[in-house]
Amino acid sequence: MRRPRLRARLVVALPLLTIAVFFVLLIYSLVRLALTQHDMRLEAPHNNLLWVISQAQTSSLRLAGAVGQTALGTLEPGALARHHQVLVSRLALMDEGPQLRQLQALGYAGRLRDFRQDLPELARLLDRLRPGQVAVAAEIDALLAPLQQTLTQAATQAMVAEWDDLGDKLEASRAGLRQVIFFLVGLLLAGAALSVHLLQATRRARRQAYLLSRAKAFSERIVSSSAEAIIAIDLARRCTVCNEAAERLFGRPAHAVVGAPLQLVAPLFDVATVVRAMDRALAGELAVLHDQPFFRSADAPPRYLELRCAPIHSGTQIVGAIVMSFDTTEQRAAQREIAMHRDHLEELVQARTRELDAALARERQAAELYRNFGAMISHQFRTPLAIVDSALQRLMRHGGRLSEDEIRERSGRARDAVARLIGLIESTLDAARLDAGHMAVHGRVCQLAELAADACEQQRQQTPERQIVLDVPADGCPPVFCDPVQTDHILGNLLSNAARYAPPGTPLQVSLRRSGARVECAVGNHGALAEGVDPALLFERYYRGSDSRGHPGVGIGLYMARSLARLQGGELALQADTPGMVTFVLALPVADAATPAPPAPRLESAA
Amino acid sequence: MKHATARALLLRLAAACGLLLGLGGTAQAQGPALPEPQGEVLLEIHGAIARTNAEGAARFDRAMLEALPRSQLDTHTSVTDGVHHFEGVLLRDLLEYVQADGSRVRATALNDYAIELDMDEFHRYDVLAAWAMDGRVLQPTDKGPLWIVYPRDAHPELQDIRYDYRWVWQLVRLDVQ
Repeated sequence: MRRPRLRARLVVALPLLTIAVFFVLLIYSLVRLALTQHDMRLEAPHNNLLWVISQAQTSSLRLAGAVGQTALGTLEPGALARHHQVLVSRLALMDEGPQLRQLQALGYAGRLRDFRQDLPELARLLDRLRPGQVAVAAEIDALLAPLQQTLTQAATQAMVAEWDDLGDKLEASRAGLRQVIFFLVGLLLAGAALSVHLLQATRRARRQAYLLSRAKAFSERIVSSSAEAIIAIDLARRCTVCNEAAERLFGRPAHAVVGAPLQLVAPLFDVATVVRAMDRALAGELAVLHDQPFFRSADAPPRYLELRCAPIHSGTQIVGAIVMSFDTTEQRAAQREIAMHRDHLEELVQARTRELDAALARERQAAELYRNFGAMISHQFRTPLAIVDSALQRLMRHGGRLSEDEIRERSGRARDAVARLIGLIESTLDAARLDAGHMAVHGRVCQLAELAADACEQQRQQTPERQIVLDVPADGCPPVFCDPVQTDHILGNLLSNAARYAPPGTPLQVSLRRSGARVECAVGNHGALAEGVDPALLFERYYRGSDSRGHPGVGIGLYMARSLARLQGGELALQADTPGMVTFVLALPVADAATPAPPAPRLESAA
Repeated sequence: MKHATARALLLRLAAACGLLLGLGGTAQAQGPALPEPQGEVLLEIHGAIARTNAEGAARFDRAMLEALPRSQLDTHTSVTDGVHHFEGVLLRDLLEYVQADGSRVRATALNDYAIELDMDEFHRYDVLAAWAMDGRVLQPTDKGPLWIVYPRDAHPELQDIRYDYRWVWQLVRLDVQ
């Protein structure tokens, strides 16, 4: 943690330090150069002394020459005066201003001033000088000679001083320039360091720009390849980004909507709830809208979108919002289908439960059936067996002593009981056959009246003491379509029942009549159903009324009779509105030429 | 030879004798003649000038110089101490007076010190041919008779050794080129 911060500080501080060094060196170099430049300024009087002295020397030599020529008489007139003036002027020049001060410094000012005192003498001698006056000329030469010597020495000294001074100045300048060179090297190094830093910074910046652009491209790729439709908006709610999924969803190309107001992307964004969600997103909240209906066009079926609106932050400021839309139409449909499946399943379960309940009821019924069957067996089979047993006992005990009649009578009784047993077994088997659908019904056109008359006759033979009244309409009855054997069986069963339960001495009533498309045969006897007998259960298998004790039977007769009636397209029912009478009515369909014989329906299972 | 005239045409044969003779003839025929110097001649101007009073030359005595437009100048010099008051004639006035037609002037001193000057300078600066300093006439035994003085104090660029050598004193001759 400490090291990177130190490093970061160095990264900032080093270039700043280098720049500071750079400028300090630059300023120092400039100051040094300016000073050197100022020092190199040449002062004319200072450097001019040698020239001044040499000119004075020249003028004195020329005057001496002119003096010689004058003595020889070869000089033009006026020239001597001019050379004199020049010399005087030169000496005057050396006796004033900077020249005088420099000569004083060299120690020659006094001597030259001394010579100026000889000038009047010089002028006087020059006046006297005439051609041929060699003595005067020699006098003048003698006067000028010390001046020339002094000037030569002064020139030497001036030269030495000047060269020394120049040397010093050059030395100082060189030192200054050396310093400047040194500083320039420093400047160069600082500049090089700055250049390296700049290069590195540039490279770093370029690399960062590259990474940034790559990251940007990557995020753009992510946005564009996202399955969610992504739209970004700025604070003015103009679309700034629209990815491919959004293009597909809203059906508008990105170049047409980027920069446009959001409402132009889709009318959806003008809906109040969506506008409110945008408001919240731009206020910095996350807003989610589930199942927002969306119409691609006016006549298109609605699609359902999930809209998620989130703010886009730049630092601490919100600069826009992003809207992610996901088409949930299929999901919604799938969920609805699942819900429907669930409902259907519940129905199925209920139906199944009902079926199971029914099966349970059937099972219970079957159990009841078998219990009834067991009770019936134990009761009905015991009595004939007891009769057979007692007859056999008597025969065994009194075999030798019994008369033939007695033996026949006892044997007959045993045989009757055995016949009853066989009858019971037969009817039980009949019921089983009926249940198994093995009972064949061969329907044909018959006269029910004839069948009824036959049945009455049979009953009369069995119970001669019982009167049976058969009542057939005068105009007769239409023929019926039925199996005569089975019909005879039904009627026999009804008549034997009636004969069994009718009080002694009362007649049995058998009457026929037409009723609609059926012909009915009612078999009635006087009396009433015993207490506690449920008319609805009369036709159940093995049901025996409480008054049936003492009457042989297996409780199958009525069940069999009704089943056989129904097999032939008829019906057997207890007639309720006959007070003082118990009447069962067998109805069989009229054999109509127009309607073909109904096919024998399959026998229902024992439900 | 832009001053060729009808007379010059007649003298074409004589012109072969010498250029100066021909020049003198034409020059004198041009501008108004200069007066003859009465006193000692202090300055001679030679070369391309139109007004002369001698053969190819204009010669000035003190009276003639003092008759020209006077100018004054206060300045330091490189060879003296303090500010001095100079009095004289502007070189441009002087050269105009003699109708000089050239670009350079060669100034010569008594001791044959000779320097060439640009005539442009005389228009750029008020360069003086001074005959008096601090109210006293300059003498040939000092810096006289004439001293070329630049307005050194008014123009810093003139404070330079390359101008210092142009301060010709004991000036006696100008040659216009």
